Amino acid sequence: MTTPAAELVGVTQRFGSFTAVDAVDLRIPRGRLTTLLGPSGCGKTTTLRMLAGYATPTSGRILIDGQDATRTPPEKRDLGMVFQSYALFPHLTVADNVAYGLTMRKVPAPERRRRAAEALELVGLGHLGDRRPKQLSGGQQQRVALARAVAVRPRLLLLDEPLSNLDARLRVQMRAEIRRIQSETGLTVVLVTHDQDEALEMSDEMVLMRAGKVVQSGAPRDVFPAPADRFVAEFLGYENFLTLADGREAAVRPEHLRVVTADAPLDGRVDDVVLDAVVRDVAYRGVDVLVTLDATDPAGTAVRLVADHRAEDETPAPSPGARVRLVAPRARLALLTPAAPAAAPATAPEGNR
Amino acid sequence: MSGTRLRHPVAAALAVAGYVIMIVPIGFVVATAFTAGSTLRFPPEGLSLTWFGEAVAYSPFMEAVVSSLELAALATALALVLGVPVTLAVHRGRIPGRGLLEGLFLSPLVVPELVVGLALYQQLMIGLHLDNFTTLLLGHTALLLPYAVRVTGASLALADPALEEAARGLGASPVRAFFTVTLPMLRPGLVSAGLLGFVTSFNNVPLSLLLQTRDFRTLPVTMLDYVQQSYDPMVAAASTLVLAATVVVAVVAERTVGFAKIFGGINR
Repeated sequence: MTTPAAELVGVTQRFGSFTAVDAVDLRIPRGRLTTLLGPSGCGKTTTLRMLAGYATPTSGRILIDGQDATRTPPEKRDLGMVFQSYALFPHLTVADNVAYGLTMRKVPAPERRRRAAEALELVGLGHLGDRRPKQLSGGQQQRVALARAVAVRPRLLLLDEPLSNLDARLRVQMRAEIRRIQSETGLTVVLVTHDQDEALEMSDEMVLMRAGKVVQSGAPRDVFPAPADRFVAEFLGYENFLTLADGREAAVRPEHLRVVTADAPLDGRVDDVVLDAVVRDVAYRGVDVLVTLDATDPAGTAVRLVADHRAEDETPAPSPGARVRLVAPRARLALLTPAAPAAAPATAPEGNR
Repeated sequence: MSGTRLRHPVAAALAVAGYVIMIVPIGFVVATAFTAGSTLRFPPEGLSLTWFGEAVAYSPFMEAVVSSLELAALATALALVLGVPVTLAVHRGRIPGRGLLEGLFLSPLVVPELVVGLALYQQLMIGLHLDNFTTLLLGHTALLLPYAVRVTGASLALADPALEEAARGLGASPVRAFFTVTLPMLRPGLVSAGLLGFVTSFNNVPLSLLLQTRDFRTLPVTMLDYVQQSYDPMVAAASTLVLAATVVVAVVAERTVGFAKIFGGINR
């Protein structure tokens, strides 16, 4: 097996009595895009800053290309970082910003200009080299920051919430853009985000963090259908939790709960979970109708569930007060590991810091 | 522009009164300088440039101008060289007691200058046998340090700390990051601190008065001496020349950096 591009071994970071990162072990695979995902305060940004060399772990080791870099200052790590604020040098032109890392590496002027132009070309801003950062839009500044980090051909490209300051449409465009740049350059990328859609769409490998620890990691296709515990499930948008007859907890997404009439024949598989329910509320949302229901789960506990009723479903959306039947296909139930300590305070993800 | 802000009659009246109180005395001095008569009196008796000629030809004044410029330039440079590292330590460093450090460097603002002058006289000139120029230079530097720290600090506080981190991440050593990124960020602050410091030193009387000798005397002290002995309009002419020079500096500063930028920093 090849050496990972970077590796954290038992890394802990304490600020006073607060443990920001708690004994984290992590391997960053080479040539792929890894996201660190979690709510604010989960330690993802601190982890990134330790990788970059802006923070030194309280204990543990950081390896880059298999070599110990725990105490190597940032300027000797040969990495590229894109900051949340972009941190473009306001007194330099766009081209000089992009060339800064090359100047520091004493690359001769002609080659420096060529490589800076290439990097700008890569992000589609070849024509803006003479401008000052202030004269660019937020999206353009973001691209310049990306070009500046890529121009030095870093061993790792680190992105700290790179899209959080862009408006919604641009953000979605930039996801694909960053993926394209990653695959064109073959760079190893580590991206910090609190946005699960961003992580799912962009990652080769996603690492979910909570309270300074890694809770689950893997490819989005493996993680998404099988959240390890309630925290991960809630963070990934599973809204329904119920206890099965055998006492295990399961999560199911609103779009996988089918609402059928109380007397509908059960054509599904025998092991589907079928619940009697009463409709509480119906919210029309265009593409779908969100149905809130009160039900009793197989363990006999009263639960409130949310089902996504698609417009194309054969049965019409029920009205409030109606007695209905809910079907959760067995294959769609995500079985959770019991006892994630103290039922995660998994609030809606929000801005970092 | 002022039309919207000064619409209230009381505010307008106060503003006008403020300008009158500031400008009228200066008007008197300037007018008197152009007199053809031989006493410091208003209204001037006739119009002439005689006293300007006298002032420029009067060697004690001219020597004092050179001394003052020399002292102000050196003290300002020294205050900036000492003040910028203090600013960096206060704003970027992770040192305990940052507030105390900043307070210490701002303290010359609140200690009466006569007390500072006396202390310097006793400790440096009498105690350490330093010559009077060195003592004056040290005194003026101490006097200007608060401006250097405060004004460059205001500049630095506006700069994103991630800029220096970005520079380091791109391969700049701490020293190179300082010279290629931090220092350019500080430029407006340095210009304004420099101008303020220079003017403060050039106009200073208390320190310069206490630490003067026959060999080295600044312009304000020399003028003060002169006024005590004679009552002719030469002092007014000298003052007018200084005023004109200051206006030129101010206009150049306004054109190159902009006053809003220079002095905007102080209020933050």
